[in-house]
Amino acid sequence: MISSDPKQVKQICFDNIDVPGMHTLSVARKNGAYAFLPTVLKDFDSGKIIDEVKTSGLRGRGGAGFPTGLKWSFVPRNTGKPTYLLCNADEGEPGTFKDRDIMRFDPHLLIEGMIMAGFALDVQDAYIYIRGEFLHETNVMNAAIAEAYEANLLGDNILGSGYSMDLTVHRGAGAYICGEETALIESLEGKAGRPRFKPPFPAVEGFYGCPTVVNNVETLATVPAILEFGGQWHASIGVPNNAGCKVFSVSGHVNKPGNYEVPLGTSLKTLIEDYCGGLQHGTVPKVIIPGGSSTPWLTAEHYETPLTYDDLMKAGSFLGSGAIIVMDETADLVALTHRLAHFYAHESCGQCTPCREGTGWLERIMKRVEKGQGNAEDVTVLGEAATHMAGRTICALAEGAAAPVLSLLKYFPEDVQARLAEKS
Amino acid sequence: MTSLFINDQEVDVAPGTSILEACRENGAEVPYFCYHPELSVAANCRMCLVEVEGWAKPAASCCTPVSEGMKVKTQTESLAKDREMVMEYLLIHHPLDCPVCDQGGSCKLQDYAVEHGASKGRYAEHKRASVNYELGPFVNTCMTRCIHCTRCVRFADEVAGTGDIGILNRSDHMNIAGIVEEALESELSGNLPDICPVGALLDKPSHDVSRPWEMSHHKSTCTQCPNGCDISIESRGDEVMRIRPIEHSPEPWICDRGRYVYDAFRSDNRILKPTMRRDGGGLVEASWDEAFEQVITLLKDKRVGILFSPDWSIEGQMAIRLMRDALFPDAKVAYGLHRRDMRTFAFEEGFSMTTAQIEAADQVVVLGSDLRQRLPLLMQRLRKRGRAGKPVSRIGAMNYRTNMDINNDALVRPRDWPAVIARAMEQVREVGKTAAGFDSWMAAVSDRHEAGKVLADALMADSCALLVGEEIRAHEDAAALIHGLDLLMRACGHAESDNDGRNLIPEGMNRQVLSATHGDVRASAGDIFAAASAGDLDALIVIGSDPVGDGVFPSAAKAALAKVPLIQIGSISGEMAEYASVQLPAAAYSEVEGTFVNMEGRIRIASNPIKSLGQERPLWKVMMRMIQVMGAEVPVVNLDELRAAVVERLPELAGAWAGGATDTVLIKPRRNRDVSIAPAARSDSFELDVVSRYSMYREGMWARASKLLTEAGRIHALDDVLVHPETLAAKGLSVGEHKVRTFLGENTYHIGVREDVSPGVLFVGKRGVAGDLSDVSGASIEGGAA
Repeated sequence: MISSDPKQVKQICFDNIDVPGMHTLSVARKNGAYAFLPTVLKDFDSGKIIDEVKTSGLRGRGGAGFPTGLKWSFVPRNTGKPTYLLCNADEGEPGTFKDRDIMRFDPHLLIEGMIMAGFALDVQDAYIYIRGEFLHETNVMNAAIAEAYEANLLGDNILGSGYSMDLTVHRGAGAYICGEETALIESLEGKAGRPRFKPPFPAVEGFYGCPTVVNNVETLATVPAILEFGGQWHASIGVPNNAGCKVFSVSGHVNKPGNYEVPLGTSLKTLIEDYCGGLQHGTVPKVIIPGGSSTPWLTAEHYETPLTYDDLMKAGSFLGSGAIIVMDETADLVALTHRLAHFYAHESCGQCTPCREGTGWLERIMKRVEKGQGNAEDVTVLGEAATHMAGRTICALAEGAAAPVLSLLKYFPEDVQARLAEKS
Repeated sequence: MTSLFINDQEVDVAPGTSILEACRENGAEVPYFCYHPELSVAANCRMCLVEVEGWAKPAASCCTPVSEGMKVKTQTESLAKDREMVMEYLLIHHPLDCPVCDQGGSCKLQDYAVEHGASKGRYAEHKRASVNYELGPFVNTCMTRCIHCTRCVRFADEVAGTGDIGILNRSDHMNIAGIVEEALESELSGNLPDICPVGALLDKPSHDVSRPWEMSHHKSTCTQCPNGCDISIESRGDEVMRIRPIEHSPEPWICDRGRYVYDAFRSDNRILKPTMRRDGGGLVEASWDEAFEQVITLLKDKRVGILFSPDWSIEGQMAIRLMRDALFPDAKVAYGLHRRDMRTFAFEEGFSMTTAQIEAADQVVVLGSDLRQRLPLLMQRLRKRGRAGKPVSRIGAMNYRTNMDINNDALVRPRDWPAVIARAMEQVREVGKTAAGFDSWMAAVSDRHEAGKVLADALMADSCALLVGEEIRAHEDAAALIHGLDLLMRACGHAESDNDGRNLIPEGMNRQVLSATHGDVRASAGDIFAAASAGDLDALIVIGSDPVGDGVFPSAAKAALAKVPLIQIGSISGEMAEYASVQLPAAAYSEVEGTFVNMEGRIRIASNPIKSLGQERPLWKVMMRMIQVMGAEVPVVNLDELRAAVVERLPELAGAWAGGATDTVLIKPRRNRDVSIAPAARSDSFELDVVSRYSMYREGMWARASKLLTEAGRIHALDDVLVHPETLAAKGLSVGEHKVRTFLGENTYHIGVREDVSPGVLFVGKRGVAGDLSDVSGASIEGGAA
């Protein structure tokens, strides 16, 4: 776990990411894994854990940024139904690759976080819904879970505490939409992954109609540190209302792409220049997609923006999953938008009219525009078709599909105009 | 109540109501495709968006519950643009083939395109086309028109219970498809075209033959089963084109039997003119006068037996009674073809509960009925109940397919019923519940059958609905069994006026009325045939029945008809034509002003008939003319006088005919509390009990006259004769041709096996086809080890 002096902590989830053999239980234990778990099981109760997590200011690391403690407190108790804990490890947002590293390098951190969360919510059965393509990560997770069972960290009467929890890894089948929590639940129930409308929310009626908490890998992996060092400690990292550290997956035109865990509030510029070795070309990026491909773009003017949920929203985008895609002036934004439109047209679940029909429409127009066959009306249609998809569907996929198109039209209309067959 | 503002108007609705339903209840128009009041919410069409004050985004009104003080706007500039865009998205791939689409003129997509769409679509890319799929004999698919609202998928899952329509693929490759080709095994499949908001699912039989605006609509009552659904008969001129359910009636759906029987109305099987045999030849057309001459010759001063269908209007049935009283005051009448035991039943045929009450009861037990075939709409309600987590139990000779999960299932032979009831009595007695006569009934039965536990357990609930089916109603000891059930219900407090769970599924419509109008002169059809065969009758008058094709007396009927002449009066000729000396045409239920009462006792008055196709006349007029030509005094000369004659026997109908309530005044089946009949020991030595299947596609003259239902019956047919595999194995026999011995002699049948059949039961899958087997209740398979 984290170094013995919490004041020195710079990283939470990634603290031991580089320790060789950390995925094995023996190495993980040597580095502090499960050391504090017996204390939690013995001295903590549900209320205390949820209070600590509330105090910590931890917000969901999967994309929506919803306060984790609050989410947990919504779960109704004594309903006569089981409560389920589902870990969303369907890391499919283009640009995101942080959960993968936690799972393949430090799986016990996630398992420990899930035991603690499960204990807080009185969960008997927990699942990790893992992206189907993550075969290696699935194998690592399963091996770690097997070791944890062997050591009585999972299963019946964990460490003699009287608390029992089973943990199962379920592989997805390659659908992006299954990262949406209700589609994930549908898929886990054995159905096609199509989001459910809300209400009812999963906390009340989720997996098989039972109270269900769905948390991201990184969120759950943050829980052990919060309980060990206290919610106050976590709240002191970062900036108010945006506490703690966040793993950013930086990709694109930077010299050292990769995962970087930094305190929230670090600016985009600092992250890119101090951590990622700066841009490949030029001094300011042309486009930054700050939270995964479905978040609206930022441009050079936003380069100094602090990386917090609030500041990015003020800038017109979202922190999302923390997948920062950086593009310098060499990027072909029309081609990029076409590629993203293709992705969303492929991944739309097909339920809602605007998304099912709109994503394909956007893709086809973008394809023509990219080939130089677009016309002036296409620009109008792109704008209207994208605008009326966003926020009018069951889930946020349509909004994500609209974001790149609307960003392109907003910030770089001249790039589009230059590609049209007849210039207007 | 929750109060909210819809377009600045304050309204109150029940808490938890969706915004869309609140708008519908209060007359605020919100367009929608995927919403359907009888189906679960899908929220996928996004047409029903509304604005809620303070919300950043428009909300889908179908899936958003109301909250106190919410301010909803249904008409804003921004919503208009949203709706225009949803229409544009939907029409991207929708073909512009309205002129050749059956749905054109009654299509939501077409209507909304006009109301909410732009004048021109801007989509200029490739269009998608979809492959059609096979949905059985009644539904045509044109999937390129599909807008993916999933109403059909939800219907198949939730209402039909078959779950055989699904969604394949995603994004704009998404397809609605049958999961297995030709899989749609639902008796409710004809509702699919009705719920499809576009022209993707169309009615196959009426495909490409008519347009919606050519139709005139005639409100009527379906007489194809005792449920008596409200129907709208749609005709073009005098020709019935289709039958559809009526919105806001007790059942939102109708079954395929009630819907597709319509082609019988114009089939060759109709009797549209009087016919008679001249010089012993075949039936030829005759004038009414000639035909009546023949009737006088055959019936004047003769001893006759009268058999009629319960499905005629009440007026028609009263006219039959008046005819009998005027011309044949000693004649017995029969109006059922399934009742062997004519002793008085403790509770008579008909429902003491409404189907809505049955749906809501704590417990429901189905006793010996293939409810899916017999009462498809009630079965649908039981499915609804099952989805709500309420139990349904069943005891019977076969695990009939129900397309739902039955909570407790027990297989019994008909001869086991006394032991089943006695076992239930014992359990009930143990907790101190009893009724007068209880112990002596129980003492008359020596055996106990474990299936009785299912019955007794259900009876312990606060409310329990028994659905007593044909296996008991047609039982040779039916009166004793029904008395036993009555005792059980009384002991457990389910026979009080406010908690009466006794529902004896009748054979046809109007059962409660028939007890009042004909109960005193009733005989078993079997007894009438026996009397005719024995020379105690000179002629038979059969009015709308077919005792050879239906019921449990086909051999007896054939023997009787070989002996005495037959006067056939009715709408459908059927197998009776072979025996009839004279046929007189009577108008079909689509062609009369008449009154019908369903199994719940709900009254329906049809007043907008379709014009007759030929010379057929309402039955009551045929009866009065017959009285007149036979030289008796005509008792009534118009419908009002005829109804007054009914009211003398059944005062409950007076109010309805005077324009009063018809849905709230229910005519309850009669109770006969003084009946006390102990079960008798079975006397024959046949090893197997015979149970025959009611098939909704084959039973009844109307169904057999319908080519559509006949074809469906062929598709849904079971083997002719079925037994449990153990039954054959015990005799060392295998599937194949075997001799079956009954009291009528020996015959060879192809015997198949099915685990669903109770051991010890010979199950007749095709009544009628198996001929003589329909008459018997016991049989033995010959050959093999004894």
